[in-house]
Amino acid sequence: MLVPALAIIVLFTVYPLMDGLRMGFTNRNLLLPSFEYVGLDNFARLPSDEVFRLSLSHSIILTVTVVVLQLILGLILAWAMQQRLPGMAFFKSIIMASWVIPVAATVYMFRFMAQPDVGLINIILRLIGLKDLARYWFGDPLVALPFIILLHLWRNVPFYGVAFLAAMQAIPKSYYEAAEIDGASGWGKFRHITLPGIRDMIIVMVTIHVLWTFNNFDFIYLATGGGPVNRTDVLPVYVYRLSWESYRLGYAASIGTVMVIILLIYFVVYLRIHERPGAAR
Amino acid sequence: MSTTSGRIRTAILAYLIVIVSLIFFILPMLWIFYTSFRTQASIFTGDVISPLKDYTLENFATILLVTDFPTYFRNSLEIALVVTMLSLFCSIIAAYGLSRFDIKGKNALIVGIFSTQMFPQVLLIIPMFLVLFSLGLIDKVIGVVLGQMILVLPFQVWMLKGYFDNLPIELDEAARIDGCSIARRLISVVLPVALPGIMVAAFFSFVVSWGDYLIVSIICQSQRTATLTLVVQRLGSSLLIRWGQVAAACVLTIVPTIILFSFVQNRLVEGLTAGAIREE
Repeated sequence: MLVPALAIIVLFTVYPLMDGLRMGFTNRNLLLPSFEYVGLDNFARLPSDEVFRLSLSHSIILTVTVVVLQLILGLILAWAMQQRLPGMAFFKSIIMASWVIPVAATVYMFRFMAQPDVGLINIILRLIGLKDLARYWFGDPLVALPFIILLHLWRNVPFYGVAFLAAMQAIPKSYYEAAEIDGASGWGKFRHITLPGIRDMIIVMVTIHVLWTFNNFDFIYLATGGGPVNRTDVLPVYVYRLSWESYRLGYAASIGTVMVIILLIYFVVYLRIHERPGAAR
Repeated sequence: MSTTSGRIRTAILAYLIVIVSLIFFILPMLWIFYTSFRTQASIFTGDVISPLKDYTLENFATILLVTDFPTYFRNSLEIALVVTMLSLFCSIIAAYGLSRFDIKGKNALIVGIFSTQMFPQVLLIIPMFLVLFSLGLIDKVIGVVLGQMILVLPFQVWMLKGYFDNLPIELDEAARIDGCSIARRLISVVLPVALPGIMVAAFFSFVVSWGDYLIVSIICQSQRTATLTLVVQRLGSSLLIRWGQVAAACVLTIVPTIILFSFVQNRLVEGLTAGAIREE
């Protein structure tokens, strides 16, 4: 039973990974039949590649900002959903819809809303008298990256909210009652009961989303393709363009390898936190 | 003790968050839905509401009857269904094996499985493409399916393993004592109990496959295999964009996922995070 299990994992992840890493040391081009190993040449070229440097910093800024904002907004949303109020059950049942719809549909939905003349965002801005702010939101070098962050929030914050809510509901009510008898404030209860109670869920959600956001390709590729003038370029999009628009598989794979190394560093830190004595229940 | 005024304040704040959330998360979907019923002319007026005569079914009629949209819809459906079945088969075997069998170095293996989440798909697809190319599977449904497996499997195995871990091992033990084989134990004892988790896993793979752009943009090269995400992209990137048609295509792409979502929504988060949360 374990043998087929391992075979499946090796076939679909380990093998492509190893072969991908190997390719990072070659000058393979999709259009040329032959290739050779070039040692560390690809990697040596990276520091002087300006698009790579931009993409790297955007990737890190994007991932950190997105995950931190999602965490905070997710907690706020979970807190609201935890209140027993009329209509809340219905709200909870529809709120995760943004997570299930295809990213391509999400992106074109927002591209339409971001249109300079016919987009909803600019229509609203004009209605409230902020006509000067109207623009094509994905096309403006200043706001394109923040707008991409907004898209990530749109898709994932409800997922965080519902996940945190599930974890909150597993915390025994008696903890809160005891705290109230001791005269704990609302914030105190949140800080000392809720947060530790959902600690595991927070770690899981943050970890998954660091990986998903850092590796995410389709949001930015479909929304801006990395533009305007590389202002939204991130590593996955750059790797994709190098592989399938310039056909430079070897160089693309070397950047993919850098991505793996960055994630490995993150992973080691994650294990340190997760396996810390006292962390596991 | 919370006072009445404190409770009212809490309720007001909670509703405020709900209203802002509805505007931010739900309004864009309603807006694209609304747009799909408007004529090009009325969209271009820049008004929110237009005269009744400017609402139309023409956008849907055009993309369903004039373009090849139905073909792409069928391709999407076919690919997503095959991916769902194949990935379920693989991930159930893999997750059950990892969950139930004690071997040396198992912990390292599980860390290894989790770490497969972190491999960048844009890197994995390069060797995958070359393999599929040498097998002649480019622009074939099975090629797309195999490519999408690398998107679906790592997470699916991880979440199902967590789900199986939470099922009592006594269940398998009893069946083993009764002389059931491994396959029999899995099919007739474990799977029925794990059905809610498996439904979430199936939903996950269907939605990932249905919404995939990365793999199809590389492997699909003709209308034989092109899927809806490619159509949405093409319609939305042409020189003169017919936003009504883009909206209609988006709506038809979104609706199947929302319908499936309504079946699993109660269990979705529980299932997705089962890989991490242990029940004590």
